[in-house]
Amino acid sequence: MTIRVRRSAGFLPWLFATFLAMSSMAYSQTLSVQTLTIAGTISPADWEAYRSRFVEDNGRVVDTANGNISHSEGQGYGLLLALAAADRRSFEQIWSFTFTELLIRDDGLAVWKWDPKGKPRVTDRNNASDGDLLIAYALAKAGQVWQEPRYTSAAQKLARAIGNNTFGRSGRSMVLMPGASGFGAGDRPDGPVINLSYWVFEAFPVLAILAPEYEWNRVWRDGVLLLQQAASGRVRLPADWLSLQNGLQPKPADGFPPEFGYNSLRIPLYLLRAGMTDMEWLRALKQRWSTENEGVAVVNVVTGQIRERLTDQGYAILPAALACALDGTPVPEALRTFEPSLYYPSTLYLLAKSLLGEKYPQCVSSAAP
Amino acid sequence: MRLVGSAITIAVLILGFAAIAQQTGPGSSEPPAGSPPSEAPPANGSQPQVDESALRYFASQGDTRRVNAEIARLRALYPNWTPPSDLSQLSGAAAAPPDPIVERLWNLYREDRIAEVRAAIAERQGSDPNWKPPEELVTALETVEARRRLLNASDTGQWRTVLSVATESPNLLTCTNVDVLWRVAEAFARTDQPGRTRDVYTYLLTNCSNPAERLATLQKALTLLPEQQVADLLQFERRTGEAPDDFSSIRDELARRRVERASLDGKVTASAEDLAAVERLIRNTNEAGPVLILGWYNYHHGNPARALELFKTALDRNGGAKAAEGYAMSLRALERLKDAEAFAYEWRERAPENMKIYLDVATALLSQDPPPRLESPVVARIVTAVTAQRFSDGAQALGWYSYNTQQIRTARDWFRTALNWKPEDEPSAYGLALSAQRLNERAAFNAVVAQWRGRSQRIADLADRTNPALRRQSAPVPPRADMPAGETAPSVAAGYAAPRQVTVERVEVEQPLVRSEEGIRRRQTEARSVLGRSCAITRNPNGLSGDAALTRGWCLMEINRPLEAVFAFDQAIAAGSSRTREEAAYGKSLAYLRKNLTSQAATAAAEAPQTRERRVELGASILTQRALAAYRDERFVETLIALSERARLVPEQNDLLLIRGWSYFRLGRYDDAEKVFRAVQQTGYSEEASVGLNAVREAKDPVPQ
Repeated sequence: MTIRVRRSAGFLPWLFATFLAMSSMAYSQTLSVQTLTIAGTISPADWEAYRSRFVEDNGRVVDTANGNISHSEGQGYGLLLALAAADRRSFEQIWSFTFTELLIRDDGLAVWKWDPKGKPRVTDRNNASDGDLLIAYALAKAGQVWQEPRYTSAAQKLARAIGNNTFGRSGRSMVLMPGASGFGAGDRPDGPVINLSYWVFEAFPVLAILAPEYEWNRVWRDGVLLLQQAASGRVRLPADWLSLQNGLQPKPADGFPPEFGYNSLRIPLYLLRAGMTDMEWLRALKQRWSTENEGVAVVNVVTGQIRERLTDQGYAILPAALACALDGTPVPEALRTFEPSLYYPSTLYLLAKSLLGEKYPQCVSSAAP
Repeated sequence: MRLVGSAITIAVLILGFAAIAQQTGPGSSEPPAGSPPSEAPPANGSQPQVDESALRYFASQGDTRRVNAEIARLRALYPNWTPPSDLSQLSGAAAAPPDPIVERLWNLYREDRIAEVRAAIAERQGSDPNWKPPEELVTALETVEARRRLLNASDTGQWRTVLSVATESPNLLTCTNVDVLWRVAEAFARTDQPGRTRDVYTYLLTNCSNPAERLATLQKALTLLPEQQVADLLQFERRTGEAPDDFSSIRDELARRRVERASLDGKVTASAEDLAAVERLIRNTNEAGPVLILGWYNYHHGNPARALELFKTALDRNGGAKAAEGYAMSLRALERLKDAEAFAYEWRERAPENMKIYLDVATALLSQDPPPRLESPVVARIVTAVTAQRFSDGAQALGWYSYNTQQIRTARDWFRTALNWKPEDEPSAYGLALSAQRLNERAAFNAVVAQWRGRSQRIADLADRTNPALRRQSAPVPPRADMPAGETAPSVAAGYAAPRQVTVERVEVEQPLVRSEEGIRRRQTEARSVLGRSCAITRNPNGLSGDAALTRGWCLMEINRPLEAVFAFDQAIAAGSSRTREEAAYGKSLAYLRKNLTSQAATAAAEAPQTRERRVELGASILTQRALAAYRDERFVETLIALSERARLVPEQNDLLLIRGWSYFRLGRYDDAEKVFRAVQQTGYSEEASVGLNAVREAKDPVPQ
């Protein structure tokens, strides 16, 4: 296995070239992360529709489908979307809440769960590594865009804490543990247990610059490898929660439904946002998600049975973005106007729309059919 | 000046908290500086009085910058405070016109809408890159944010974050933020730096003046620091001034703890002052806690009478199971064992400790020498508890009690039970050997000896002394006064010399047995023919001849006045010939049986030698009643003991076999139950037996859902 790092003109380079060897058949693939600008890719109207529904004045992003709690993931998405809308005011607001209410752990990570009805409000002091990654990434990007050293310095602290506490070894792999504790080989009989949707691929090269002493590159690469392994079964979908007890043969983890569910549907979006469109699995997924086939759904990865079809705009835009990125197919008209519903699909929608606006304007331009 | 004092305050704290930097930052191994309590505190009383003197001073000087700084500082300390409106008059119109956005920001800040202040600053800077918020506002924001993070971190147990925030924001660490100081002190304690915790408290007691907060500081110290360190902090008590301290509650608490420790250890003595403090606590509160402590102290320091009073008080104060335990133990220590048993019985179900003390007290009660005279319900409930708890010491004690009250078979069974529960119990084995010997059960005796000869000298001695020529089997066997002195068991001789109420099992059977009743009828008929109904007139039987008393006894049985019959039979026993005595003892037993006084019946039967036939008849009747009574009370083990004893005398008829079957069934011994029911069924059709067999089948093979 070799890694080539190339420099591309003008921009900070983060190119991974990975040759992934698989058991019997060996094939090679070149993957790289292309950096997004993000700022200014969401319209003020779309953002206002989101902000007014899901962001409170104190900067709390509210998960309207989960008892109006807040979590580190939501704060991270909120920051990223505020940046995408170039709304520095809201960004500062959301950061204020995140900093004072969640960034209180001794290890420098964010507590993941905050409940307005709880006493204390932090009802679970554990961290969630995807939330930490999203917050750090948004801060790093905002620090660059707005030249605000407070953001950059907070991003750096958090990036170090992530590298220090959530990167774990599994056999010869280096993985992102879902939390600083509770998921390792010593914590569960089927540990280590990971969640591939916690790899926010686009964040890795950005945070690697801030905390170069940690192996971001390797964790990114092993995440890609594990994704390919996990998606190589008959159903070709990874389960949300995977046990790595058998090294490179990920299996659905105990105690979780063996499903490709709400977590994993983010993976293709993250791959597209990171510009990792060469990944062969995306083609297979596009096929499965096409309207002639089953569409976006929660699927049992062992039996292939569909448990729930997901039709909200925020889910429907995912296959549309995939078709656009892979084939240049324009996004259907019905998906172009934001109709916010619940926090999570609305978030996915704006993340997809921000990507389309920046990288694939032709798919959403009014000239397109 | 107050402001100067605050500045020094902060400086001292920063000094004191060098340890924080050491703890959170890299490197330095330099020992942290202490915070010597040297600053003279401004002792000007109760707190939320905001000191505006500096503010007014700066305003009078026209120093707008410092006025704003002081406003910011006071706002950070007192979120509800608003600046005085007359400041501008003092400054003589020297101040510049206020910036409206700054005014708005301060308003938001005052309303604690921190995220919005931040947002508004960012927005303003977005449109005007050269605009800067007032420095005081930035400082105030940072202070409030630091305070929030510190509070959140401490609420979530993130102690290292608490310390790092405190290090980065030393201006939080002032007497106006006592809550923050307390949390920092706790963070030191939770990160194993109790010395730093003490430093923070020392700082606080040296510099901060609010008496309520000072007292609360010591209360916190009580939960986090070793007692000696808390005691050391008491030196900071201010006895004079406007608002003197009253730390007496802390002193009392320390005294209470010392007495509490001594209360459980008879070798540790508490000082008179400490004991007086606890007495005071008892007087001044309605709580059971201090009463219990003093109760245990007295109990463990040789004063059970006082302990008893205190535990009584604790019970009155709802002291609960613990108070009851102490009360029972004190009664026992006072050798009021009957009272102890009765009291402990009431509380036995409350907690495992209460059951334990009940069993202990009951065992002690049974083990007295000479054996006490006990009401049958008392013995019955002891039996029930000992059986339910499988308490081997209790079973042994019941064995000795039975033995010493001449119930040798019962004694043997209890010793056997005790050995079942505790196979290595030598005293029970010894009791079993003695009982088997008294009962002339050679095989049983030899079995015990064979098993214990190597381990128990006294059992071996017993075997060696035993005359191989067996005594004629006749009950009762004369007492053996040869039990070694100082043994667990009370003197064997004590029992026989004055036969006691025999109450090892509960006795309240209603219907006497047919066979006995036939005997009674025959004799009643004879008596009636002699006396007519003249015995109906109450008469003192004393002075009657033996035969006359006997006749009168049977006559009284005829008119169903068994207790009076007992007196008559007693006179017959006292005055009659040996044949009369035998007859009278028999009659007396039957009289007791009729009153369901099984145990007395058994005793009476032993008052004169009986023919074998009568012994069997009476014994079987007595045991039948015992079995039925035990069964009715769901004491199945005892039911089986009584039935087995009876079965050795006479064959077991079908109705008692069914009782035996159901007892097995209720004890979960399904195979035994099945055997018995089947045996009954084979003697002819028995609906009950079929019901029993069905029940056993269901219990063994539950029908799947």
